[in-house]
Amino acid sequence: MTVTEPDRAQVGSSRSSTQRWARHPERIGLGALIAAGLLLVAVGTGLVDGPLAIAALVLVLVCIVALIMTAMVGGPEARRKLAPYGLLKPGMLWLALFYLAPLVTLLKNSLSTLPSRFAVRATFDWNFDNYVTAFTDFAPQFQRAFLYAGLATVLTILIGYPLAYVIAFRGGKYRSVLIGMVIIPFFTAFLIRTIAWQSLLADQGVITRMINWTGFGKVLDAVGIMDGEQLLNTPAAVVGGLTYNFLPFMILPIYVSLEKIDPNLVDAARDLYSTTPKAFWKVIFPLSLPGVFAGTLLTFIPAAGDFVNALYLGNPNTTMIGNSIQDQFLVQNNAPVAAAMAFVLMAIITVMVLIYSRFFGTEDLA
Amino acid sequence: MNQRPSNPGFPMGRRAPLSRRQLLMRAGALGAAGISLPSLLAACGSDGDGSSGTSPSGTTGGTGGGGGGNELWFDNWPEYIDLTEDGLTGTVDRFIAATGIDMRYTEAYNDNNEYFATIQPILGNGDPLDIDIMAPTGWLVGRLRTLGWLDELPLDQIPNAANLIPALQNPSWDPEGTYSLPWQSGFAGIAYNMDATGRELNSVADLFDPEFNGKIGMLTEMRDTIGLIALGEGINISELTTFAEAEPAFAKLEEAKAQGQIRRFTGNDYLNDLSTGNFAACIGWSGDVVQLAKDNPAVRFVIPEEGGTAWADAMVMPKGATNRDAAAQWMNFVYDPVQAAQITAYVQYVSPVVGVQEELEKIDPDLANDPLLFPDDETSARTYTFAQLSEPVEAEYDAAFSAITGA
Repeated sequence: MTVTEPDRAQVGSSRSSTQRWARHPERIGLGALIAAGLLLVAVGTGLVDGPLAIAALVLVLVCIVALIMTAMVGGPEARRKLAPYGLLKPGMLWLALFYLAPLVTLLKNSLSTLPSRFAVRATFDWNFDNYVTAFTDFAPQFQRAFLYAGLATVLTILIGYPLAYVIAFRGGKYRSVLIGMVIIPFFTAFLIRTIAWQSLLADQGVITRMINWTGFGKVLDAVGIMDGEQLLNTPAAVVGGLTYNFLPFMILPIYVSLEKIDPNLVDAARDLYSTTPKAFWKVIFPLSLPGVFAGTLLTFIPAAGDFVNALYLGNPNTTMIGNSIQDQFLVQNNAPVAAAMAFVLMAIITVMVLIYSRFFGTEDLA
Repeated sequence: MNQRPSNPGFPMGRRAPLSRRQLLMRAGALGAAGISLPSLLAACGSDGDGSSGTSPSGTTGGTGGGGGGNELWFDNWPEYIDLTEDGLTGTVDRFIAATGIDMRYTEAYNDNNEYFATIQPILGNGDPLDIDIMAPTGWLVGRLRTLGWLDELPLDQIPNAANLIPALQNPSWDPEGTYSLPWQSGFAGIAYNMDATGRELNSVADLFDPEFNGKIGMLTEMRDTIGLIALGEGINISELTTFAEAEPAFAKLEEAKAQGQIRRFTGNDYLNDLSTGNFAACIGWSGDVVQLAKDNPAVRFVIPEEGGTAWADAMVMPKGATNRDAAAQWMNFVYDPVQAAQITAYVQYVSPVVGVQEELEKIDPDLANDPLLFPDDETSARTYTFAQLSEPVEAEYDAAFSAITGA
């Protein structure tokens, strides 16, 4: 009772302000995260440059320091609440600088116009014509990209699923070795593996000559896989190359999801008078769908944007959208149209993936 | 004409042609894609250095007055100069020994359009490159000159420039001859594999023979592919001024593509497809095929009866290049017939230097009498240089061509 009223009020007010800080440290955390991210995007897109960019970077640093200071000043409770933001920060800032900033630049570029053919910088003027050009001039390449990528994805499932199944359930002690063999091709560069197919499928190569010699070539020609006696530089070669190159991306996720399945579940199904095929379709297959779903995304998305297979194994009538984007960017110097094409490709893939995940997705992945 | 066999990592000798050729067979295709990335990176690295330099174009170098230190950087096409090996000293090393200049010779030039795309952001921004001499093909010299991205050559310091053959003294891309000196020149014609064709070819029409459906190669270089087809259609490619004049050639190419006649549009990897017989015939560059034919007798090169295209790659100095004196010494050096003959003996293209034939007679008499290296009047009369197109017309040509190549 010796403490006077004013003293008490003072202590109370200072405590309540600390409490306010302590009660909402997450606001500081979130604010610092967003501010630093936006500043990095501004620097990355070139919106600010020179001294302003340095000032922006200093501000980013201030945001980070502020977050750390808040955590140090606040109690354990504040630190607990701040922890997620602190841990998110490196990843978010990385994304801001190396994903969001380029994306914004690309978007801006896709709405710009080149003042002349060899101009260094395109002027931003909401030029939506680039998108019209992307659709009208490159529709066949878009169609081929999705057709070939789709075919390759289906083929990788048809080839990859049984393989993953055998390794997971029949591999026994050799499982690791077998999975290792799936990965071994990765030790050779993507480009070299693709170009190797040029030699394998060459007109005078062993494979093509064998196929033609046995008469099997006539069958393949009739069903449209071969073009006369030619295998290389046909649509089938492009799809085959895509299938080959992306097969491990299908096998690995399917293997992981199959490997997790308890074999006792099959025994249980049998105990309940299920036949083996029925046990597979009712038990194993549904449980492996997350793997198939992940594998499909890992295969289809890069395959749709691929240009290497069409470049080395295709002909002028099998070019995919990736070839067109590369050509527009690096040979035609037409960055705005190329950027628009890249955006259209990204948009179509996003929509496809969303629809696909609604229709086929599983909760733990979609 | 734009893509030579590229294996800068494996400089093997003309004295060991077989191993070099085998290497090209296997690595040619790989090189086309694999080399371009490192070379792009290399170019970017140098560009970075260049743009960080203190001097924007115009303030350094400029035309006239000499300058520069004891350094020199020449960025050329791959496999386009003789190397030091087998007891012979390469031109670069002979030059360094003779002058003491610290010369850097790189082979990042893999494709005209690609190379232009890498230098465009720097030169277009008014910044200098670190490269002192680069080697664009004639038409690109014209474009760079028109854009104002080149410095005039210090010709007063290059007395040997007088050795330039008359035919290239006033080329359409550089009528005064003040911005460029040719490095090498050559022809595009029909290259074919006798094993696959079963007969000799000598007409552009053979490229469209249905017998070779799916076995024909064309170059991504518009001026050679369209040039040759247009000659086949009876169009004089040296006097093209509008798009409409060449339209039949584009239509013919488009039709052939739609029918599946064309197997691929290629860069330097046509040699691989040609040698294995994937291509029965293709459009090719004289020097390449002459070299390849030594190891694979089935491979032939012919300038078709309708005519072939003639081209030249030139040495030019980008705007703001600093080592003008050293560059002048280099150009003077390689325009000495004795030096030029060594280069010709290795690369087997047409030398732009008078007196090389006499010098080559002493080194390799067979080569000295090859009409593809020293074109006689009959050959010269049948080869045409593609017209230097005005900028809007060139844009039309490029757009139409890229629409057909489908990339």
